[in-house]
Amino acid sequence: MIETITSPLRAIWESLLERLFFLPPFPETIDSLALFSLLLVVGLLLGEWLHAHARWPKVTGYVLAGIVFGPSALGWISIEALAQARPIADAALGLLMMEVGRRLDLSWLRRNPELLRSTLADITLSFALIFIFALWLVGLTPAWAAATAAVTMASAPAVVLLTIEEARAQGQVTERIILHTAISSAASFVAFAIVLGIVHAELSEDWLNALVHPLWVVVGALLVGGMGTWLALRIAKTLPKGSLAQVFVLIACALLAVGIARMLAVPVFLTLFLMGVLLASRDQQQTLRYTALPEGHWLLAIVLFVIVGASLPWQEFTWLAGVQALGLLLVRAAAKAGAMAWSGGNLPLPKRLLVGMGIQPLSATAVFMAYEIASLYPEVGRSALTLPLFAAAMMELVGPALCRLALHRSGECESGERNRGGIA
Amino acid sequence: MTTKALGDFKDSAAFSLGVELELQLVSKRDFDLTRGATDLLGSLDYDERFGEIKLEITESMIEISTQPQATVDGIAADLGGLRDTLRLHCERNNIGVCGGGTHPFHHWPERRICPGDRFNDLYQRYGYLAKQFTVFGQHVHVGCTSADEAIWLTQALGVHVPAFIALSASSPFVDGVDSFYQSARLNAVSAFPLSGQCPPLGSWQEFTEHFAFLQACGIAQGIKDLYWDVRPKPEFGTVEIRVCDTPLTIEQATSLAALAQSLARWLLRTRPPLHTAKQAHVARYNKFQACRYGLDAMISDPVNLCQMPLKQTLTDLLEAVSDDARELDCAHWLTPLKLMVAESTGDAAWLRAREKQHGNLNDVVREASERLMGKNN
Repeated sequence: MIETITSPLRAIWESLLERLFFLPPFPETIDSLALFSLLLVVGLLLGEWLHAHARWPKVTGYVLAGIVFGPSALGWISIEALAQARPIADAALGLLMMEVGRRLDLSWLRRNPELLRSTLADITLSFALIFIFALWLVGLTPAWAAATAAVTMASAPAVVLLTIEEARAQGQVTERIILHTAISSAASFVAFAIVLGIVHAELSEDWLNALVHPLWVVVGALLVGGMGTWLALRIAKTLPKGSLAQVFVLIACALLAVGIARMLAVPVFLTLFLMGVLLASRDQQQTLRYTALPEGHWLLAIVLFVIVGASLPWQEFTWLAGVQALGLLLVRAAAKAGAMAWSGGNLPLPKRLLVGMGIQPLSATAVFMAYEIASLYPEVGRSALTLPLFAAAMMELVGPALCRLALHRSGECESGERNRGGIA
Repeated sequence: MTTKALGDFKDSAAFSLGVELELQLVSKRDFDLTRGATDLLGSLDYDERFGEIKLEITESMIEISTQPQATVDGIAADLGGLRDTLRLHCERNNIGVCGGGTHPFHHWPERRICPGDRFNDLYQRYGYLAKQFTVFGQHVHVGCTSADEAIWLTQALGVHVPAFIALSASSPFVDGVDSFYQSARLNAVSAFPLSGQCPPLGSWQEFTEHFAFLQACGIAQGIKDLYWDVRPKPEFGTVEIRVCDTPLTIEQATSLAALAQSLARWLLRTRPPLHTAKQAHVARYNKFQACRYGLDAMISDPVNLCQMPLKQTLTDLLEAVSDDARELDCAHWLTPLKLMVAESTGDAAWLRAREKQHGNLNDVVREASERLMGKNN
């Protein structure tokens, strides 16, 4: 479609080139900045329109924009453009993952052991039920069933964080959604690292790679995240607490960690999540504890979700794959709701079930994880991981709405109060 | 609007005590106020052996109130028990608890009114003032043996309002800035139309007539609508001192209760002349002085037509009530107050010193929260 617009332009341009020697050759690819702004505008327009007219979460609009303009539909965002925009997506996902890591408060589990029980139940039930579903009902091999479970067991940190920020939610349901999301993400990253080894072992019988690759991923992410943390704390200590300069240092160190992780082929989401966890746990003097990311990180998040939307393989959709993905999501929902119903301490059952609803999103991290694993053995990986990718694709559209509904039902959103004239 | 009858004054044991403390619920992440009161109370597993834990107007506040106690030591034990109960349940919900009259940097529009008809009515009646009323005070109840005694004591204690304000002042920061006040909390209370002093009434009969007049004019429906600095509480059989900021420690809250008890005994024993009509002219000014300058306030004396340093009158007062404190077995609780006056210290000064040390208010609240829990007194 883009070709039909560009070919007459190209013809005119090339005819002018002979006369006007200062002209550069006809641009074959779009400039990165121009691409960034186009993705931003496209996402913003659809996200805001759907939010204003249908009260849909903005995140869903951004993803839809990606799907509509991506390779699966109109094709305005090409596969090359997606690759070109990947650094922006990595930066956005990295910053959001760092924020989730910073919010992981493991000491809460120590003070409330029932909460520990519910997080363990969520992790084990989600992994086990998805694994069994993929192995027995879908018929995947044990390695790919484990990969599917590792990729889809956790909630989506980026979606959860943005939905909570958008609703300005605060309260026990909100805090527990964040905690369960962060811990299940950590667990899924561990599972992801182990699965890398299993996939190597199954597909190449190369034991060196099977052992070293998971280590490379985990140790690499830990070292890069640790370096980012050390640097951020070291520099921020010399600056006034809560100052703009500290915000810039935090972002700069995070982006440095993103860049190094990309150079070393270490997953960005894992590296930045670990950096966030280390920032929260190593900051004994509260140097960066109260330094929040600026509102501007929304800009990056919009681009991230447009890219995620465009990356979803809707062109490969079949009804069988759709039914299987739906089955996976139902099994996953049952696992999470069951875990919350079984345990959760002092929160009443209806609110625990709302926590279960709030942790349903499945999004960018899962998609990126799936592509990381698939890229190891592209000839089989892509088709083997169709199931989690379609599950993520479907949940991209429903997950933010479920999370927002849970927050609204819990009465912890600020917007609901405004609509009702201020009374909670 | 429905009016509520005043009811009879329920006589109680002389100088029995009860203390209410409004406390801040703060996030453990950034120490800003957080919404959590309803969930906290909903999950409370507690048999009320030390008193009650209740909702207050917004979701970021919680009120604890002791059982009626004959002695100050009993109050100290109840407050300690309530504090420990609250700590246990707040930790399960990952919430911090903090003392102080104001939260130093919270953004009041983010506050949420608690569910309940009374809170809803207050919000509908007072609008944004209800959210700005997210300030935290200590109320001390002193038992009276008769209704007339309670009205006399209400008037007599009114003269000593500046002393209670200065000794409890713990709200120097509002909206993230130093207000220059020692107690900025009372400025939020002053906005309400029925705040201020009890009018110069001489007996229970006059009080009931005045209250019936307010009801007939449609100004007040029940006794709870009177936000007076000191007011009788007929259903408890007490006089309630309502001007104190919530201190940063329960020990300071206990010392204030000890002062209230000894002072009430001294006043009722010596029955000094009250000059209520003259005091009414200077009451607002004296209150402002105590809020603004704390122990350095200059207090107007409408009888001798002069100004006296509050520090001097407080030193004399603490000396005067010493015998009564000994009789009531609470003299040891007055010692910290004497020290505080002598050294010109207090919670407001402590908060300012911490702000100077850290350069930010998040760390100030973090340390104040630890202080309430007895970690770094």
